This record gives sequence, C-alpha cells and structure tokens, in this order.
Amino acid sequence: MTALAITRLELRRLFVRPLGWILGALTLAELAWRFVLLLGSFLASQIKLAALPGGPGYTDIVAIPTLSSMLTGSMLPFGVAELALLIVPLLTMSAIAGERSNGTLPLLFAAGLPASRIVLGKYLALLIWLLLWLLLALAMQLSLAGTTHLDWGKLAAAVLGLALALAALTAVGLACSTFAPHPAIAATTSLLLGLALWIVNLGARLAGIDNGLFNWLAMSTHLENLLRGLVSTADVLWFVLLIAVSLSLATRRLAAEREHN
Amino acid sequence: MIAPTTASSATHAAPAPSPLLQLDQIGRRRAGRVAVSGLSLSLQSGQVLGLLGVNGAGKSTTLSMIAGALAPDQGTIRLNGVDFVEHPELARQLLGWLPERAPQWPELTVREHLLTHGRLRGMPGATARSAAAAALERFELAPLARRLAGVLSQGQRQRLGLACALLHRPALLVLDEPANALDPVQVAALRRILREEAANGTAVILSTHVLAEVTAVCDRVAILHEGSLRHDGPLTADLERRFFDIAMNDARGKTAA
Repeated sequence: MTALAITRLELRRLFVRPLGWILGALTLAELAWRFVLLLGSFLASQIKLAALPGGPGYTDIVAIPTLSSMLTGSMLPFGVAELALLIVPLLTMSAIAGERSNGTLPLLFAAGLPASRIVLGKYLALLIWLLLWLLLALAMQLSLAGTTHLDWGKLAAAVLGLALALAALTAVGLACSTFAPHPAIAATTSLLLGLALWIVNLGARLAGIDNGLFNWLAMSTHLENLLRGLVSTADVLWFVLLIAVSLSLATRRLAAEREHN
Repeated sequence: MIAPTTASSATHAAPAPSPLLQLDQIGRRRAGRVAVSGLSLSLQSGQVLGLLGVNGAGKSTTLSMIAGALAPDQGTIRLNGVDFVEHPELARQLLGWLPERAPQWPELTVREHLLTHGRLRGMPGATARSAAAAALERFELAPLARRLAGVLSQGQRQRLGLACALLHRPALLVLDEPANALDPVQVAALRRILREEAANGTAVILSTHVLAEVTAVCDRVAILHEGSLRHDGPLTADLERRFFDIAMNDARGKTAA
C-alpha cells in the first residue's frame, strides 16, 4: 500500500533530522522536572490529604497535572497538552511545504499517488512520532503505578483526550504545511491557529462575550472534560470533526496543486 | 482494470502497433503565461526522442505533464491507449522520470532512495530490495549505498535519479537534462545505458539544449520553441542548422517587430 510507503518515508525523515530529537529531549526534560515538582508537593501534603475523605490522590495531583496545567495550574506552565501546541507546528511544518521547497513533491505526484494517500501517509507518520512522545511522557506517571493508587479510568480518559488533541493539532499543522509555500510560514500559521483554537473562548470572555458557540469552538472546553475523566461522544466528535475537516482541506489543496500550479 | 504493457510485450506487438505515448493538443499555463500550447506527438516503444529547445521553450513543463507531475490544462495524454490524466496510477508501472536537477530527499541514504522509489511504485519488499541491489551495481552507486543523498555531488545525484527512474523497468523513460553535471566518462555511460534500454524496447524521451546529446543517442528529434512544437522528425545531418533557424529566426522576427 503506497500510503504506507509515504508513512515510512516521512518517519525516516522525522527520525534523521535533529529537530525531532531536540524537541523530544527538551520537552521530556521539562515534563520530568514538572513531574518531580508535582510529586514533591504531593508527598509534602500527603498526610493532610489522607485525612480528607475522598480527597484528591496521586492521579489528581501528579498524573493528570503532568499532562496538562489546564485543571490545576502549576509552578511550570507546560504540560503535555501545552507543549503540544508548540512542538506540533515545528514537526508538521516540513511535511508538505518541505517537500515543495525541496523539489520532491512532484516525485510523489509522478508516482501516480492520489493526494489523499500522500496526506494520509504523512499524517500517520506524524501521529506515530507524537504518540511515541506521549507514551514516553506517560511512562513517568506509570512508573509509580505499582506503589500508589492510580485511578486508571480517569487517566485513560485524560490520555484519550491528549491523543485526540495531538491528532487534531497534527491535522491542522499538516493542512497549514499544505497551504504554505515555506515551512516557516506553515509553522507560524499552525501555531497561531492552534492557539486560537485553544483560547478562543477565553478571548471572547475577555471581550465581554460569553456564549455557547465560543465555548464549543474552543479545544480547551472539550479537552477539559476528558482531563476530568468525563468521556462524552460530543467531545470526541468535535476532535474527529476537526481532524476530518483539516485533512480534507489538505487533500483538496494538494490535488489542486497538481492540477493548477 | 488497466493491464500494464511490459517493454517486451510491446516489442512483439502487431505489425502496426498503437503508440505507447500519444500527446494530443496538450497545453499548460504556468505563472500566468502559456508554457506549452497545442502540442501533439506520439512515441513508439524502443524509440529515443530528443526534445530540443532553448531555455524557457517549455521542455520541462512538457516532461512534467508526461510524467504525471502536472496535469495539462487542455488536450489528452494517452499511455498505452489509456487517458493518463484520468488514470494517473498508470505512472506507477509504466513511467520512470528523472526531473531536472534530480531532486532527492536529503535525509535518505542512496539505498533508501532506491527502496522508497520501489515502494512508491508498488513493488513488494523483496522485489524492491533485489532491484535496488541491481541498480546500485549497474549505476556504480554501491560504494555510496549508505551515504545520505544530501551530501552527494550533483553528478552522483544525477546517477541516483536515473537509477530510481529505471528501478521498476518502466516502458517509458522521461529524462530532463540527464547529462547535467556528469563528467565525460559518466556521459558515455549514460549514453550506453540509454541505448541498452532502447534496445530492450523502452521508449525514451530526453530533453536537452545540448545538440551533441541528441545526435549521440536519439533516433528522432522534436524541437520546441515558445511552448509549441516547431519540428518533429528523424535525426538528420542538418539538425544544427534547423535548430538555429527556429531559435534565431524567431529572435530576429521579434527584433524586427
């Protein structure tokens, strides 16, 4: 299947370039530091927490906040979700725009590949990289699973939310890379769109508008529910819709490039 | 279902075979100007066609359309009698293309390039590996097999590009300035390879602005000028005069106007 050939090609490109390794190392180091700080504060307040009936445990104070600072805030502002906003644009920027500036995009067209397979192949490769990164970030929380009580259901919902957020941001980044003439423009556009999706409701609230539409549009609204352990079809569908729209736009743009450029 | 035609089956076809490639009034605008207009020509298996023209004549645009990297704005391209624009997947089996300047993925090694091209053309893993090994030997790339394409010289890139184009034994080989950056020994090797491929029934189109390249390997010449076909015929001794007539008369006409 030729989409898999594209996936292999893109994975190889991701793993050979230093950018992916540097981003991975820096973000995992930051997450490890965040994890240690959160764990320290949890240990310090453990006796107090134990006295509270049904009080928060390791999952609420360490595991989920390491993934995102959305619910609790933290001494270090960046959890996996916030870091994703920064690293996904950098990873996705070269997927198509890089091929274009490198002159290799026509080679893919000339192999008789439909635009949909090129987009799908690239998307799968980026997703594999990001899910591996998420797995490594999760390894920290899971390392203490044997010695503490972990709320598996809540953690699974949070991981599902993060995986969906990564998949959605990747699809947006890939679409930006398809439209932008250069990787740097793709990264900037993708970052701005990601931030806009993240805080559109907050911006509206600051402007004095607080209605359901802006809340529905914001990614944080849907991710927040999942981070709280609440899995709803509406939230999952929001992510699926964003992924489908972004990948469709990317496919249409790429097909048009072969037709009209 | 479109049955691919192999070079050998095309060679043993009926007495008056239909052309392997048929361009019918194709045209294409690029960057707001007409790059190619009303171009018609056909090519049989085993023929080597030299596409001549000055810079900007429309050679690369024509070859990109034949290779399937660009869709024509008008006209049809038929490969083995099938509309190529409607069925771009035909390219996977029938076409090999070396674009101008041989673009490559700098992150891949020479061997990985060959394997990737094989996979993109739908070759199974084992077939791709054996084809890659054969290509490394044939194009004297074996010592460079583990080197990243990003650090190759232009001549080495050109050889790798040619190896990739021929990897799946296409029935039609499309080459855009294939002798660019090759040294005289490599040019001689390239000519030998092209003659071997033609003898095996592969049709070859090569674009160049070097007349010697055409006279050395081609049996037919097409001259493009300002996007339209000005001459199409067998290789003759007066090729140089004809080429300059087309290019210079046009220039004189413009000056006079």
